[in-house]
Amino acid sequence: MAYRLVEFELSRPPAAIELTPEESGIGLIGRWQDQLIGFQMIAGDPGSTFSAEALSILADRHFAPRVLVAMVEAELTSSAQEHPPLPSLSIAICTKDRAKRLLRLLHSLETVRRNSPFGEVEIVVVDNASTDSATREAVESFGYIRYVFEPKAGLDFARNAALRAATGALIAYLDDDVVVDRNWLTGLAKACRDNSGAGGFTGLVLPYRLDTEAQIYFERRGGFGRGFYRNEFRSSRFDNPLHPVGSGVLGAGCNMAFDRALLLDLGGFDEALDTGAPLPGGGDLDIFYRVLRSGRTMIYEPQFAVYHEHRETIAQLSRQYWSWGLGMMAFLVKSSRDDHELRSRHDAMVRWWFIDQARTLARAAGGLRGRDVRFGLTELWGGVRGLAGEYDRSCTRVKAIRELNR
Amino acid sequence: MTEPALLVRHLDLSTMRTDWRQGDAAAFSIFWWKELPLGMRASLPDELPFSEAHLRQLTAEYGAAQLSARSPMFGAPLRATFEGRPKQALALSHLFDKHDLMDGLERLATAPDAPAKQISIVICTRDRGEALAECLRSVTTQRSAPGEIIVIDNSSDGNAEPICKRFPEVRHLREPRSGLSVARNTGIRASRGEIIAFTDDDVELHPGWTGAIGRAFADESIDALTGLVLPARLDTPAQRIFQLDKGGFGATFVPLRFDERFFAETRPYGAHVWKMGAGASMAFRRSLFERIGLFDERLGAGAAGCSEDSELWYRMLANGGTCLYEPRAVVFHHHRGELAELRRQIRSYMKGHVAALVVQHDTFRDRGNLVRIFGQLPLYFLKSVLKNLLEGRRGQPGTLAPEIAGYVAGLQFLFRSGWRRERAPRLLAGGDDK
Repeated sequence: MAYRLVEFELSRPPAAIELTPEESGIGLIGRWQDQLIGFQMIAGDPGSTFSAEALSILADRHFAPRVLVAMVEAELTSSAQEHPPLPSLSIAICTKDRAKRLLRLLHSLETVRRNSPFGEVEIVVVDNASTDSATREAVESFGYIRYVFEPKAGLDFARNAALRAATGALIAYLDDDVVVDRNWLTGLAKACRDNSGAGGFTGLVLPYRLDTEAQIYFERRGGFGRGFYRNEFRSSRFDNPLHPVGSGVLGAGCNMAFDRALLLDLGGFDEALDTGAPLPGGGDLDIFYRVLRSGRTMIYEPQFAVYHEHRETIAQLSRQYWSWGLGMMAFLVKSSRDDHELRSRHDAMVRWWFIDQARTLARAAGGLRGRDVRFGLTELWGGVRGLAGEYDRSCTRVKAIRELNR
Repeated sequence: MTEPALLVRHLDLSTMRTDWRQGDAAAFSIFWWKELPLGMRASLPDELPFSEAHLRQLTAEYGAAQLSARSPMFGAPLRATFEGRPKQALALSHLFDKHDLMDGLERLATAPDAPAKQISIVICTRDRGEALAECLRSVTTQRSAPGEIIVIDNSSDGNAEPICKRFPEVRHLREPRSGLSVARNTGIRASRGEIIAFTDDDVELHPGWTGAIGRAFADESIDALTGLVLPARLDTPAQRIFQLDKGGFGATFVPLRFDERFFAETRPYGAHVWKMGAGASMAFRRSLFERIGLFDERLGAGAAGCSEDSELWYRMLANGGTCLYEPRAVVFHHHRGELAELRRQIRSYMKGHVAALVVQHDTFRDRGNLVRIFGQLPLYFLKSVLKNLLEGRRGQPGTLAPEIAGYVAGLQFLFRSGWRRERAPRLLAGGDDK
C-alpha cells in the first residue's frame, strides 16, 4: 500500500500514470509555471492506469480555480513597486542522531542556497547531544556549514543555541525530517519583501513520501497542510474570538522563520516545551503565540514549502497524536499562567479543545471507525496528561538538565 | 462576534494600493472593483489597516472569482449548487495563453448601464416615515431613469403621500387591504413596464441598479432577476446579529443561474429557493406573471409572514423559468435596529417559511417540502440547541427561541384546509384581471 507522489506541471498536458501492483493511489502536487498550486490525494486500484484525460479532469476540478488566482496575482505583482533589500539569512537545523536524514536535507538545500535571492545565507546545524560523531561528519563533508554542539538534550535548547550562534537578521528553522522545495527561499523572499514588518513566517508542509499505511492515514486526516493561500495573522481576529490562542493554525515548527532580533527580545524558545521524548511538542505553538502577542504579524506563505517525512508506523503515529494533545495543553497551561490578560481565552480554548475532541470521537465511534477512535482517545489522553501538571513536570526535568550541564 | 460596533466602509480595489485606516475601530469592509461588488469581511481594530500584500491577495482572489463567473471563455454563466453557491466550470485549457486578465476585469467592471425605460419600479411601504424619503431619493437618482416609479401605500391612513409628493416622478397609490403580497400585486396591475422591479422601503439603491437590471434582461432567456443586498449600517447588536450570525441576505458576489436543472437537482430535498435572493432586490418579466400568476396573497408580511418571493421563484422554476442572480444589482438594506424587532422578524420569517412549504406542497405535490418541514428543520433546531448547550453562547441574545416559535406557529397552516385550498391570483395577458 503506497501512494506515489507525482509532480504535475499544469501548464503542460499530463502524461498517463500507471500504478504498480504495490501502489494504491497518487498524491498530485500541482504546479503552475513552477509555483505550487495544490495537493490532492487520489485513490486508484493497484496496477491500474490514470489516463491523461482522467488526469486532466482531476486537474480542472482541483487546481484550475487556484491557477486563475495565481495568474491574476502574477499580473498584479508585476506592476507592484520596488521593495527594500532582503535581510541576511541564517538557516538553522536542529538534529539529533539522524545523520542520514540530515544529509538528505542538506543536499536539498545545496541548489536552493546557490540560487538564493538572499544576499547572505549561512547554514547552522545544531547537533543536539547526538551520541556519536556521524552528525558532525555529515556537516563537515559540506565545508561551508557551521556546526554547533548543544549538550542539553531538547529541541528548544537546540533552537536557542542556534539563535545565539546565528548572525543573520532573519533565522529560518528546519527540522531534520524535512526536505526543502526548490522554491523554498524564493517563497520566503517573496513573503519578506511583501511584509517588511512581519515578525515571523510559516510555510506549507507537504508529505515527503506516502509509502506506509500510517503516512497515508496521517496525510488523509489533513497532515500538516495549511493550504495554498497566503495568510496573515495578527493578535486578534474577528472570525475567531479565541485567536491567537489556537496558534496551531499558523503552521508547524518544522518550517518557520523569524526576525532574529525579535526572538532574542522575547527571550527565545521556552526550553520546557519541545523537550524530546517526555514532551515532544508545544514549542512552536508557544513561539507563534508570543510573536503575535508582541504585536508583530506572522505570515503564512505556501511557496515557502518543505516536504516532511511523516511517521512510518501506526505506533509512531499514535504517539504523535498523543504528543499533540500533551503539547497543546502544556502550552495552554503555561501561557494562561503567563498572560493574564487573555486568560479567559485560554480557559475557553481548553474547554473548546475537549469538546471538539469528544465530538470527533463520537463521530468516529458512530461511524465504527476503530482507528480514528483509538487515535482520538490517544490524543485526548495526551491532553488530560498535559493539563494535569505536565508543564511543571517538564520545568523540573529541564532544570535538572541545566544543572547537569553547568 | 457581535461585540464591537462595525463601521461599514467601501473600498475600491481598482484605485487602492494601501489601506489608510489606522485601527481604532472595528470595520465591515465591502470591496469593489469600480462598479463591481467583490466581497466583504469584518475586521477587528488589530486587523486594520489591511497590508498592501493583503489587498493584492484579496484582489487576486476576488478578481479570479469574477473572471471565472462572468467570462464566457472561462465557462460562464455558472449554475448554482444546492446551497446556492457557484458550480465551478473552469478548466485549465481555458487558461493557456491568457493574458491581460486585469484588463478583462476592468472591462467587466465598466460595462455601460443599459437603458431602463422598460422598467417599472414598485415599492411597497407601510408606516415607514422619513426612511421612505431616503429610499425614494436613491430611486429617483438612478443613472438609467426607469420608465415609472410606483409607491404602493399599505398604511391605513395613506401617510406616505406627503413624502411621495416631494418626488414628482413618483406615483403614489393606496392599497388599504393590508399585506405585502396584496400590495405588490396591486403594484403589478398598476404598472405598465415590460419588466417590474421590486425594492423595499427600508432600502437604498446603488445608482447603477436599474442599469444592471436592464442589462441582465437583455438576455431573453431570463424570466426573473435577484440582486445583492448589502448592509447599510451595522451599528446595533441586532443589525450585527442579523448580518453576521444569521447570514444577512446572502453573501454571494458572483452571478448565478437558477434554472430547471437547479430545480430538478434540489427538488427531492425541498428546493432551496430562498437561497436565490431577497425581495429587497428582485425583478420579473411581466410575461412571467401572465404565465404563472401573481404573488400568493396568503404569504408575505401582513399575512403568513414572508417567503412570498421564494414561493414565486419556486412556481417559476417548476414551470421551467430561469432566474439570474446578478450581484451588480446592489441595494443597501437597513437591518432592524432593535433586538425585539429582530426577534419578531426572525419569528415571522420562520412562520412564513413553513407556510410557503405547505403552499408549495399543495400546488406541486413535491414531497421535498414535507422533508424540509418534518426532517431538515427539526434537525436544524436540535443541532442548534445542542450547539448552544455545548459552546455556551453566553451574552448572545437568543434568536433560536423565536425561530422555533415561528416554526411551531407555521405548522398551523397544515391543519387549515380552507386556507390550503386557496390559490395565487392570476394576471390576465395585457393588463388587469379585476
